[in-house]
Amino acid sequence: MNIDLLHLLHHTICGGLAAAGFGVLFNIGYRTLPWCAASGALALAVRTVALAGGWSLPAASFAAALAVGIIVQLLQSRLGVSRNALSVVGCIPMIPGGVATRAILGLFAVAAQHSSATNQTLVTAAEETLRVMFTIGALGTGLALPTLRLPARGRK
Amino acid sequence: MLESAKPKGNDSLEEIAMLALEFGRLLMEAGASARAVDEITAQVASGLGAERVDLRVGYASLAITVGIGTDGITRMRKVGPLGVNQSLDQALRTAAARIEQGGSTVAESRAELDRLLRDTSRHPDWVVAVAVGVACAAFGRLLGVDWMGVGPIFAASALGQMVRRWLAMRGVNVFVSATIAAFLGSTLCGLGARWAGSQTVAVAMAAAVLLLVPGVPALNALNDILEGRPTLGSARAVWVAVILVFITAGMWLALSLLGEIS
Repeated sequence: MNIDLLHLLHHTICGGLAAAGFGVLFNIGYRTLPWCAASGALALAVRTVALAGGWSLPAASFAAALAVGIIVQLLQSRLGVSRNALSVVGCIPMIPGGVATRAILGLFAVAAQHSSATNQTLVTAAEETLRVMFTIGALGTGLALPTLRLPARGRK
Repeated sequence: MLESAKPKGNDSLEEIAMLALEFGRLLMEAGASARAVDEITAQVASGLGAERVDLRVGYASLAITVGIGTDGITRMRKVGPLGVNQSLDQALRTAAARIEQGGSTVAESRAELDRLLRDTSRHPDWVVAVAVGVACAAFGRLLGVDWMGVGPIFAASALGQMVRRWLAMRGVNVFVSATIAAFLGSTLCGLGARWAGSQTVAVAMAAAVLLLVPGVPALNALNDILEGRPTLGSARAVWVAVILVFITAGMWLALSLLGEIS
């Protein structure tokens, strides 16, 4: 595996900035924002390394979400910060919003055009739609796995 | 639980049910997952003396059954638009954990909830706009936008956030508001990126609308399905899909206007 360290550092910093920015949007307190940034930075670092290792986007996103979920679960009591705030905000930079809008634009194009290029546009849009669905599924599953308790907790 | 806090009669059950539902409603509107709503609502009800608590979490309503001995009542509460407010979410969790310890009456707990709602503030709008601008600019870099496109993304997404907030305060439909904010943000970003000499104008225009992508509801949707609530999870997933279509419609208008559609 060949990783450009500058590329990794760039993506890690951008992941941290995106998570902290969305932390403010989600009304997370100022004192917790550095932890949100750390969570986003960790997520993007793991995903970038996994992508460089040839993993697909959903697989790399799953690994990153799982790593964030486990670390937050382990450190939650020490940090005194909501698990939900840290792990979810950390994974927000990995939500494939750009791919999703591209996929829907492709579907718009398919609905509008009547040419031989339609098939290729449709295949590309379908590929991107599936990538979005599997990536969101991978993120949600990676985040949920460390918190799932078996057997289910009883209710008083 | 202290014996003195144990309620007697249907009036007390009514108060317990309504206060527990109020916690549940606020948690839903603050972006909590169904499991969190279920657990925290049960903490409140049992802390106030309920011996049995069952909650049904729907997309637009909550229904709770609480019982003590042979008495029991069922009440329902409407849930407003779902947003994300982590400070309120955290404050509600802390208050519910305190109520679960027992010793609080319904009146004291309601007073605590009122105080909590009064004291939990939101960040100023300009701070949120700047933060969203930074986040979208970082997103842009992650998507491969060149440095010339970063400034326009920052300015356009900050403006998009202000427009979205302004429309929300005037009660504009959330889907229509998403399209308007996406169109304005994307157009401004496209014009700015062209002026700055960016070679990645179309990608920058996409990055400028990422503030509108409902990440938390998307993750909650899957979480709810994984935790055995497929109805609620599916409702959230449909909402996410529809809002993505409306966002893309706004972006498509902007791309068409600037001739960036290939």
